[in-house]
Amino acid sequence: MKVKKGKLITLISCTALLASMLAGCGSGNSSNEGSGNTPKNPETNTSTNVDDPYKEPMEISIASWDIDSELSKLASDPLAQEMLKKFNITIKPVNTTWDDYAQKIQMWASSGQLPDIFAIDAIGTQYQRKWIEQGVVKALPDLAKYPNLEEFFKAPDIEGLAVDGKQYTVPRRMFPSVDWSALDRTVLYRWDLAQKAGITKEPETWDEFKAMLDAIVKQDSEGKKITGLTAAQVKMIGGFFWLYGNPLATSDGSGSDYKWIEEDGKLIPAVFSKNALPALQNMREMYENKLIDPDIALTKPDVSYDKFVSGKAAAVLIGGGFINFDGNVNTKRWEKAYPGVDITDNVKVLKPLVGPDGERHHAIFKTYWSESYFNGQISDEKMDRIMALYDYILSPEGNDLLTYGKLDEDYKIEGDKKVAIGDRPLHEKYPTRNFFKNLVSYETSDTYDMSNPSITNEKIRKEGVEYIDWILKNTKVPNYDIRLTYMSTPTKDKFNVLDHDDLLKVMLSKEPVDKVWEGIMKDYKAKGLDKMIEEVNAKAAEEGIK
Amino acid sequence: MAKMTNQVHKRSLWRTILQYKYFYIMVLPLLAWYAIFSYAPMYGVTLAFKTFDYREGILGSPWIGLEHFRTMMTDLELRRAFFNTIMISLVKLVTHFPTPIILAIVLYEFSRVVARRVFQTILTFPHFISWVVLSGIIVNLMSRDGIMNQLIVMFGGEAISPLVDENSFRPILYITHIWREIGWDSIIYLAALAGINPELYEAAEMDGANRFKRLLHIAWPGIKSTVAILLILHVGQLMSQGASFDQIFNLYSSPVYSVADTIDTFIYRTSFTTGGDFGYTTAVGIMKSFISLVLLVVANTIVKKLGEEGLY
Repeated sequence: MKVKKGKLITLISCTALLASMLAGCGSGNSSNEGSGNTPKNPETNTSTNVDDPYKEPMEISIASWDIDSELSKLASDPLAQEMLKKFNITIKPVNTTWDDYAQKIQMWASSGQLPDIFAIDAIGTQYQRKWIEQGVVKALPDLAKYPNLEEFFKAPDIEGLAVDGKQYTVPRRMFPSVDWSALDRTVLYRWDLAQKAGITKEPETWDEFKAMLDAIVKQDSEGKKITGLTAAQVKMIGGFFWLYGNPLATSDGSGSDYKWIEEDGKLIPAVFSKNALPALQNMREMYENKLIDPDIALTKPDVSYDKFVSGKAAAVLIGGGFINFDGNVNTKRWEKAYPGVDITDNVKVLKPLVGPDGERHHAIFKTYWSESYFNGQISDEKMDRIMALYDYILSPEGNDLLTYGKLDEDYKIEGDKKVAIGDRPLHEKYPTRNFFKNLVSYETSDTYDMSNPSITNEKIRKEGVEYIDWILKNTKVPNYDIRLTYMSTPTKDKFNVLDHDDLLKVMLSKEPVDKVWEGIMKDYKAKGLDKMIEEVNAKAAEEGIK
Repeated sequence: MAKMTNQVHKRSLWRTILQYKYFYIMVLPLLAWYAIFSYAPMYGVTLAFKTFDYREGILGSPWIGLEHFRTMMTDLELRRAFFNTIMISLVKLVTHFPTPIILAIVLYEFSRVVARRVFQTILTFPHFISWVVLSGIIVNLMSRDGIMNQLIVMFGGEAISPLVDENSFRPILYITHIWREIGWDSIIYLAALAGINPELYEAAEMDGANRFKRLLHIAWPGIKSTVAILLILHVGQLMSQGASFDQIFNLYSSPVYSVADTIDTFIYRTSFTTGGDFGYTTAVGIMKSFISLVLLVVANTIVKKLGEEGLY
């Protein structure tokens, strides 16, 4: 009897284990229940009341970076609740992280499990083109019904994203023009250490900058074996080193945003211009003279900020402009390391240096970064609801609400200024307002305003406002046609230029610069560089682009 | 006659299954695991002959014949990755495979059980730390202000950056791999050594065999068959685990791609960074599996020819 009981227990345990395994395998992504592998059949229409377009409640799934934590206080945010109620929607967050978002989204796309809205920077990539061609993402409807969105799409580089006259994405706008890209790659340097090393003038030219780094490194006034320039991320380095005479070669690191220039009567990617070699030589010289962090190839954001603030690096190349300067450098590190010491007296932001052509250049990217895409399977009704939400967030009413809170409750208008009421910070009162604002658009440029409290340190905010004013007046963006960057040709669609990888290779190689660069060019030619140039020139001539 | 034998065989098979039904039930979850995770996804290999279409999925994507394989022949980056995979795997096999055997023998020779356990625990510990964490530690150790460079400078040398140097990157892979796996891999050999009858040692000692002779004539023959089986398994996994993705991906950077980019890192970059066709990367994966299969068969044949028992 005992034996039989034992056998029965074994049998039950095995069956339960098997059942649980199979059950585990069977569960899919509930965000898209019922969706198969193929996004062929859009959701069927449900009845829509003409009088109240939002009568039908809707759940919208959104994949965005750290959305789980961003929306963890959604229920206690009265502003967000009001807005969601207005459109009769509930949000289902689908979390992605900064490390895995691109992989996750590509996997969801290939298995038909995409959420309704997802955030990624995919413009110009091979997979984004396929998503559009193969109906993975939904085209935006006629925007006449959404006046704020329609206006949003009038910026030239955003308008240029249309494929066969249709838009498939809402890019997150940061700046009103590419001149503002200067804020995306800024160099901070330790002015206190420079002064200790005998430097009295803030650097204006490359030679002066190099001389300053050299003086700081040689002086090593704090005895920390200080190194020269470090960077928050490897993919940022082109945003600085190309500025030595080849500014249009600057890239956001995606590999697909390379800009084209005309050289010797032919359109070529700016990275392969004859101006590349002097920039590379300048960079190598800096490296060999120990003016660049020898560990730059393996750098990480937090490590670089730590190095800079702790006096182990004389300068740091960062993204995110003065917002990052304020948050990651000042608030998180400087204020703790040097309490009571004003950072703006000791750390300066490098103004674009005068290059070999006598001009001051800064990095040139796009006016937006990352985009919202919409699952190709969602119904027209759901798309309409999403567009209405986006349009509202972009409207002056929605924008003011999400930036300043409620009129007469959180802020009042005095003349042409908005003045905060009360001491309670808005991010505590409305913890998800930034998420909703950034879901549609970053509008980073709004931060560079003395009445906008986003940059918490007022002195840094003031410097930021003055810096961008100075940039707009004193720097020059060379001519280029963004349509060439977006152009699709068979070879170009598969061609990537990861210039930061090439820069690192040149920087760290022991061979002469021209020889390394020749080898890199040879690799690109083997991947079809010449063929791509031919195709682009032919297509540009056909379309009348010069 | 043949039919009858077949029937008898069938009947006896069912009878055996019935007789050992509880064992068969116990093995069911394992079979289900293989069926679900190893065999069911195999339909995906057809992608190697298709161009992936998001709308149509794996089964519906259009066939393109051997185009991906033709592209592979002219892909210089893949050629480099292929060479690196073979090179790194082979050198790892040669440098790493004997080390746990040596360690197991050395540990076994410790007469003090406590010392043996302490060393075994210390040496096994790194195996349980992921490469993500370990690589962070290695990067720190080898950075300009890391302990390695501090020592070099202290002894009058010049600081180096071995992780971005083409000459030193691969040796770092080999050394760190041994460091991480030596303790863990020695466990099975220790178990094999423990399985040897102690009377054999005592008898040999009585006959005047010294420590080396005992090792050569008792310990080694005792673990030889285990070594053979593990060698076959290692060779079979040479292409996948030999050039470990986790290890390389977390340590490499573009200056060392020429010596460090392997098939796995190439597939990852092509699929997710540059967004290549999943069909192409599947074709590359198939090629890798095919080579693994050939290596496994070759290793098995060699081991059998050497008089040991093979896998099949």
